[in-house]
Amino acid sequence: MKKVTKILLILVLIIPMLVLSTGILAQVQVSDLKKEQDTLKENVGTLRDKISGVEERISNAEADLAKLTKIKLSGYIQAQFLHYEASSVSSDNIFMLRRVRVKFQYAPTDGVAFVLQPDFTFGKFVLKDAYVQLNDRWLKTFSLWAGRFNRPAYEVEYSSSSREVPERSRVIRAIYPDERAIGAKLEIAPPSVPLKIQLALFNGNDGLTIPDASGNNINPENNDFDNHKDFMGRVTYTFKLGQIGALGIGAHGYYGKIKANTMDVLNADYTYNKAVDNTGKLIRKNWVGFEGQLYFDFLGGLALKGEYIFGVNGTPGYSAKASVVSPMTSALKNDTLTLTTLTTNTTNSRPAIEKSFSGYYIYLIKNIGKRHQVAVRYDYYDPNTKVASDQIGIAKWDAGVKTVTTNNFTYVGTDPVIATNTPTKTIVSNSLKSGAGDIKYQTITLAYSYYFDDNIKIMLAYEIPMNLIKQNILTLRLQAKF
Amino acid sequence: MKKLKTKIGMAAIIMIALLSFAFMPAPEKITVKGSDTMVILAQKWAEVYMKSHPGAVIQVTGGGSGTGIAALINGATDICNASRSMKQSEMDKLKDRYASLGVEIRCAKDGITIFLHESNPVKELSLKQLSNIFSGKTSNWKEVGGPDQDIKLYGRENSSGTYVFFKDHVVKADYAARCQTLPGTAAVVNAISKDKFGIGYGGAAYAAGVKHCAVKKDDKSPAYIADTETVKSGQYPIARYLYMYLRNRPTGEMKAYIDWILSAEGQKLVAEVGYFPVR
Repeated sequence: MKKVTKILLILVLIIPMLVLSTGILAQVQVSDLKKEQDTLKENVGTLRDKISGVEERISNAEADLAKLTKIKLSGYIQAQFLHYEASSVSSDNIFMLRRVRVKFQYAPTDGVAFVLQPDFTFGKFVLKDAYVQLNDRWLKTFSLWAGRFNRPAYEVEYSSSSREVPERSRVIRAIYPDERAIGAKLEIAPPSVPLKIQLALFNGNDGLTIPDASGNNINPENNDFDNHKDFMGRVTYTFKLGQIGALGIGAHGYYGKIKANTMDVLNADYTYNKAVDNTGKLIRKNWVGFEGQLYFDFLGGLALKGEYIFGVNGTPGYSAKASVVSPMTSALKNDTLTLTTLTTNTTNSRPAIEKSFSGYYIYLIKNIGKRHQVAVRYDYYDPNTKVASDQIGIAKWDAGVKTVTTNNFTYVGTDPVIATNTPTKTIVSNSLKSGAGDIKYQTITLAYSYYFDDNIKIMLAYEIPMNLIKQNILTLRLQAKF
Repeated sequence: MKKLKTKIGMAAIIMIALLSFAFMPAPEKITVKGSDTMVILAQKWAEVYMKSHPGAVIQVTGGGSGTGIAALINGATDICNASRSMKQSEMDKLKDRYASLGVEIRCAKDGITIFLHESNPVKELSLKQLSNIFSGKTSNWKEVGGPDQDIKLYGRENSSGTYVFFKDHVVKADYAARCQTLPGTAAVVNAISKDKFGIGYGGAAYAAGVKHCAVKKDDKSPAYIADTETVKSGQYPIARYLYMYLRNRPTGEMKAYIDWILSAEGQKLVAEVGYFPVR
């Protein structure tokens, strides 16, 4: 019994002690846990701050990156070797950089784009494109362009980096020199209809070489020199031909006038154009073109493309005046001393001419697999349909050279008499003869392109002009695009 | 002169014909790239097809519809998956490079689904409300019948066809700058499942762990959830086709694969993955 009491007493003493010690221990543990919790909280807080910092940095970086994605940079380099057969040029083997272009595009907001594209061909810097494009954000149908950009015509707008042959057709090069023009354009292209309408106004003198009497170009900086603006319009529509391809058709027209620079205007056949009001001094640049592109899926892509353009293309003339005063001469006859000072006024004129022209081109393109492409183009350009081949160099207009001398005497004194003569000699020459600018060209171009990948292609082309001037050209071109 | 022209013409035609046959590509494997929305579906198709056609090798990657179309144009893929139709500018590039407008195949239908957190009390939204939400005009849930909390926007990257389709057909304006862009619908769904006040959009096949929001054309129209019936009937207002694009008409192994996708077997997988068959 006593033992039990002892045990109970021990237990009574031990249990509270144990409870007490456990409590103390628990308190210590809780205190430790709290400390750990505080440390953890602190660490989490630190980590949260760090994450917030990283998030902020990422957010800033994303914002910067978003700004950068608004800038697009693209371009291409075309390096080529040319071999001219039956060459009349000094070197018939030439390495050259044909095009070196970088295109900068900046789209600050949806619907607005700024485009700048210079060409850096060796030794010169030429501004090709520089325009602002405003796109309608609601209907996604209208866009307004202002600046310098491609004229709206199929082969003009077709990029040189994509073209299947080295150069554009002769008719296009002749009527749209340098492809671009300064002006404004409205494009209407409803997203749900394969229709595109382009209406444009240009200065009208872009890229034209207009010589003066000395042969210098009076239009080197494309500053407009008449008040007339040229209008261009183009409409295209694409028909889907089920799964086998598509047919695109279209037409474009050009209605323009340019200052004649002279009082005389000739018809295309080198006869004098009496219908033109010579004091009006504006000559016509009017033509229309009809285009078609057939795409047919036959063992890979196959395309047949063509365009026919005809109309009137005016070329300004010039009228250059020069005045030369000869040194005084003297002559004594009887009792009269004659002192003569001759002034010679020369007017060297070339009449303006409105030439009727026509031209067309046809492409046959076949893609073979992903890498190979062969193309054949036949292009025809008759710059003056009113002058037959056998009349070139013969057809001309010549007003002849007119020389008129007018004496102007004054007399002083009696013995001797001094006569002062200031005669004026006026020489006017005014003529234009048919020549190289009237020669009709028919050219076949054969080309093979190999695409190493989307950025690099190599092209081997052979151009065969079949006209009076026979000069075949072999081109080996390497193009790198980015 | 005429004889010379005829000879040159003949020579050109013979050259084209010979090269056409000589360089006909012999496809070893079919590469498929594009829409992230379609990745699961495309992988499923490839997996099942390769099992039943042991010789076939099909490689599927995502990246977005825009990326896929760019890859089709630059020759880096044979098939492009796209959750939007090809733009005219992209078609022009294809035309310029391959003298072909490409081939468009509608292989499935999808209802772009609006994802909400499961606890979000909002059940339906009109197209106008969605436009306001994603363009940033509406920024608090209470404006559309939800709690007084800021709306967190989740969307896709601009290379995504879903991004373009949703922008063109629903937002009809620029996305709000605070819309967080994520790579793929799966990432959008994952983000919303963790964000009580999040809203996002994406393909119908990716809805696990989040709530579908019913969509109505306008305030007066009934609201619909994207399902086979509503998408097929056109009642669900944000339905679209899913496309496959090829450079040219398919031949050989590629044709067999496309035909299989459009067959009952291929279309059955469309439904299994969560989209809607076209046949």
